[in-house]
Amino acid sequence: MSNAVVRKTLISLAVAGAATLAQADVVIGVAGPHTGAYAAFGEQLWKGAEKAAQDINAAGGINGEMITLVKADDACEPKQAVSVANRLVDSDGALAVVGHFCSSSSIPASKIYEEAGVIMVTPASTNPTLTDQGLPNVFRVCGRDDQQGDVAASYIVDKLGAKRVAVIHDKDTYGKGLADAMKSTLNAYGVNEVMYEGLTRGEKDFNALITKIRSVDADVVYFGGLHSEAGPLVRQLREQGSKAIFISGDGIVSDEFVSVAGSPEYVDGVLMTFGAPPTSYPSGAKVIKEFRDAGYEPEGYTLYSYTAMQVAVAALANNNLDPIKGAEWLKTHSVDTVMGKKDFDEKGDLTVSDYVMYEWDAQGKYSVVE
Amino acid sequence: MDIVLQQLVNGLTLGSVYGLIAIGYTMVYGIIGMINFAHGDVYMVSSYITAIAIALISALLTFLGFESFLVVIIGTLFLTIVVTGAYGWVIERVAYRPLRNSSRLAVLISAIGMSLILQNYVQLSQGANQQGVPTMLTGALRFHVGDGFVQITYMKVFILIAAFAGMGILTYVIQKTKLGRMCRATQQDRKMASILGIDTDKIISTVFVIGATMAALAGVLITLDYGAFDFYIGFIIGIKAFTAAVLGGIGSLPGAMLGGLILGLSEALFAGLISSDYKDVFSFSLLVLILIIRPSGLLGKPEVEKV
Amino acid sequence: MSQSVGINFKKSSIDALIAGFMALILFGPIVGVVLDGYSFNAEFDKVAWMVLVVIIGRFAMSSFFQTEKGIAMAFRYANSNDGATVLPPGHKSKMVWIIPLVIAIGLLVPFIASKYVLTVVILGLIYVLLGLGLNIVVGLAGLLDLGFVGFYAIGAYGLALGYENLGLGFWSMLPIAALMAAIAGAILGFPVLRMHGDYLAIVTLGFGEIIRLVLTNWASFTHGPNGVSAPMPTFFGLEFTRRSRDGSTFHEFFNIPYDSAYRYMFIYIVLFAVVWAVLFIKHRLVKMPIGRAWEALREDEIACRSLGLNHVLVKLSAFMLGASTGGLAGVFFATYQGFVNPSSFTFFESALILAIVVLGGMGSTLGVVIAAFCLTVLPEMLREFAEYRVLMFGILMVVMMIWKPRGIVRVTRTGFAARKGVVK
Repeated sequence: MSNAVVRKTLISLAVAGAATLAQADVVIGVAGPHTGAYAAFGEQLWKGAEKAAQDINAAGGINGEMITLVKADDACEPKQAVSVANRLVDSDGALAVVGHFCSSSSIPASKIYEEAGVIMVTPASTNPTLTDQGLPNVFRVCGRDDQQGDVAASYIVDKLGAKRVAVIHDKDTYGKGLADAMKSTLNAYGVNEVMYEGLTRGEKDFNALITKIRSVDADVVYFGGLHSEAGPLVRQLREQGSKAIFISGDGIVSDEFVSVAGSPEYVDGVLMTFGAPPTSYPSGAKVIKEFRDAGYEPEGYTLYSYTAMQVAVAALANNNLDPIKGAEWLKTHSVDTVMGKKDFDEKGDLTVSDYVMYEWDAQGKYSVVE
Repeated sequence: MDIVLQQLVNGLTLGSVYGLIAIGYTMVYGIIGMINFAHGDVYMVSSYITAIAIALISALLTFLGFESFLVVIIGTLFLTIVVTGAYGWVIERVAYRPLRNSSRLAVLISAIGMSLILQNYVQLSQGANQQGVPTMLTGALRFHVGDGFVQITYMKVFILIAAFAGMGILTYVIQKTKLGRMCRATQQDRKMASILGIDTDKIISTVFVIGATMAALAGVLITLDYGAFDFYIGFIIGIKAFTAAVLGGIGSLPGAMLGGLILGLSEALFAGLISSDYKDVFSFSLLVLILIIRPSGLLGKPEVEKV
Repeated sequence: MSQSVGINFKKSSIDALIAGFMALILFGPIVGVVLDGYSFNAEFDKVAWMVLVVIIGRFAMSSFFQTEKGIAMAFRYANSNDGATVLPPGHKSKMVWIIPLVIAIGLLVPFIASKYVLTVVILGLIYVLLGLGLNIVVGLAGLLDLGFVGFYAIGAYGLALGYENLGLGFWSMLPIAALMAAIAGAILGFPVLRMHGDYLAIVTLGFGEIIRLVLTNWASFTHGPNGVSAPMPTFFGLEFTRRSRDGSTFHEFFNIPYDSAYRYMFIYIVLFAVVWAVLFIKHRLVKMPIGRAWEALREDEIACRSLGLNHVLVKLSAFMLGASTGGLAGVFFATYQGFVNPSSFTFFESALILAIVVLGGMGSTLGVVIAAFCLTVLPEMLREFAEYRVLMFGILMVVMMIWKPRGIVRVTRTGFAARKGVVK
């Protein structure tokens, strides 16, 4: 009995090992939450990367070699991120990876890519730690939370002139990082927050917290987190009769924010920081049109993912498919992408931060605040 | 002063909802001694059905050319309770009945598996994105206290009334009707009950349906109030409701409601007056403390040690 | 069973129709009406297919259970018996041959497997450790612990924070973490061990959640959700990195080209040795008085207490031993991942470890090892199914429990014959 079981285990391991052999073309991994609670963002990453790969292949590929994409699911869990990262560099032989989505996945995975000498370009992980680790191969085509926090804080102080700011976060890498960055800039301006607290992700009843916001009489509520909590939060805030201005970051960039909040009237006047609109780059007009013609609205991180793919491909194409040289090359050269010209600094961050303030209106759409 | 009162109101509404879901745990535990881990996900399914029912009925009404909040809400309640009850019945039939004579741990693992199945089945068919329902009832009752005010939205009033009405009907059914007597008999001694001619399998199925019905009621109420849900909401609220059931004494119906109210109130008061960061730590510590003092929960009967 | 065996197609058809009707109620709304904002898209064709599959499946099942084979099968499931399989006295275990063989093969794995396979196997071994630890608590002592992940977190964070604050490395933390977890087990165990079955379960669940919440919220010490990086193990002071910050690296010392797989090979070998050590200790413990006391207490607490067994100490020892094994697993997990954050220590993880113990067969060591590999390797193999992965995992869990509610491997004991001359 036990003999048979041991044999079966070994056979299954051997089968898993055999999958290593199949390899062709230039393999690029697309890592993100393709299942789980954040699968909607994973889909954005995949759509963007897929389109970019199609376009590049149609234009002759990388120095004549075709790109093959590999979908790698981490479900935003660090444990699975390590596992898929090893699988990508080892079994799939990826030369570059577009991803991951969650910062808490990107950070552990980045070390594996560094060891294997693979370029990692994340379209969405904004936590500063990722590039502050000093790994030579890590790049991001989105901003950093501290840049985003700066924009929000200076807007609160300069434009709104608010004195009583309540800072709320969702106790997660992204949300707390963002809230902390905003808070420290705010304090540097000489404004101290009247309240700093976390809520639990996955809950929907924030009435106790909101009553507390009401009791400290806040003018501005800054929320670091995602739309899944921002929606109920802003709705319950309004239901309790608070007129405080609600500001958040790029975690609420999704049409779902409106449906989760219950009605467009609740999101009316909500402010958020997000990268300059992808549509504002003339270079992206063609891609956006093609997306829409195919019946897909390229919202959120779709174009960031497309950009990340272009950056990774440019690094490989100009260095004879050598990812280590490609990573060095990226730090001294700029890349033309659908979102304009991108330059990277020594850490792998973008040299220019392009965060601007957006406002939601009563129709449930957002536009740049002039 | 107004803030403390407002927190009491917040805690009361939250607690009544916990209580409704806790009933499902406590009844199933009472009758077959298993922790039904999939119960939180039954609640999650009922949220989806609520949204689907609202969408369907609204579309139908628009087609017929009139608008009525009452029709939508009664129709939604009816549809949700029927379909969720069916889920409760099928889950028991498929995942628990074949394990009737096995160890309780085997059933527990089966329940965890069922919970994964429900979550992923809903995610695959409805998508992973956040869902919402349109706001249907706005406005609030406001009472001025000092220079502040305490308010309770009409929706919350509706929740409180519906939750306590649901509880009342259930207590009547369990205490006064023939079905209730059969349930209690099965709970006390399943073997004896079957010898006396009670179809215990049928009673167990009924209990699952009742539990699911209460979860469905909670699902409709919460979904209408908060408006937002996804396929993962069952987990957190399930753990909270289970905690409430144990707090009140698992197996006891009034205990479930009491546990729910205590949990809701302690969460709201702690979050509102001290810190929302540690409110869950506080509720779990409270649970541990109560169980150390009263090892069978507040209203639970102490276990008789048989030799 | 005197009635003639023949398939009653009318009954099967009725069963199938009822099942189809239920399927329509279940799948109709959730599958057929896909929400899109506040409106919906109808996908009734999918529902029709699913209902059809259910009807056909139910019809086939109903017919099968009316055949002779089906009746026999149903009968077998209705009567699963308890207890252990008792082997004849003087039974010679084949393990004497199998164990060295498994060790030999196990030692070969890092040199033949690819890095990805190696990482999956390491994860499997970590779960073996966790399963063995929980097996002492649940399987042997019969204490339902739903917060085992708390001890796992203590081990993992112990390594990461110990390195950050005190400069302690992998090797010094290995025993310290085991000790820390054991102390935590004692602190938790002392007040709660007088509770019964499911009350104990919810208190331990609360404990696991409290640990995770404190790790998330106490940001000044644990860095909250951002997590902490954990050190890699060293080989007599040699690091497994490409470039070393201080001291020399493994590949420079041995003058071989750098390969990131060396680190995993080393973790694997150390882990493999620790797993065998734990297996051995557990094997001996079960045969010692303390192990017998655990099982006796699980079966009948009152009898044990009236025989003068100190039930608190016996339970506490099981709790602490289990916890320390969990702590060890945590250290390996942290060093394997190089980074820990609270999201790795959710309740789901506790449930998974419990599933390993129950699926393996409560109290059975071999079963735990097999189940741990199944539950960690399976999701990786199911990767081909992409988004259906977790659904299939759930279905397998339910099906496995219905198929083998006592677990994969049943506990076996060598029987013994009464010695001559003892009983008069």
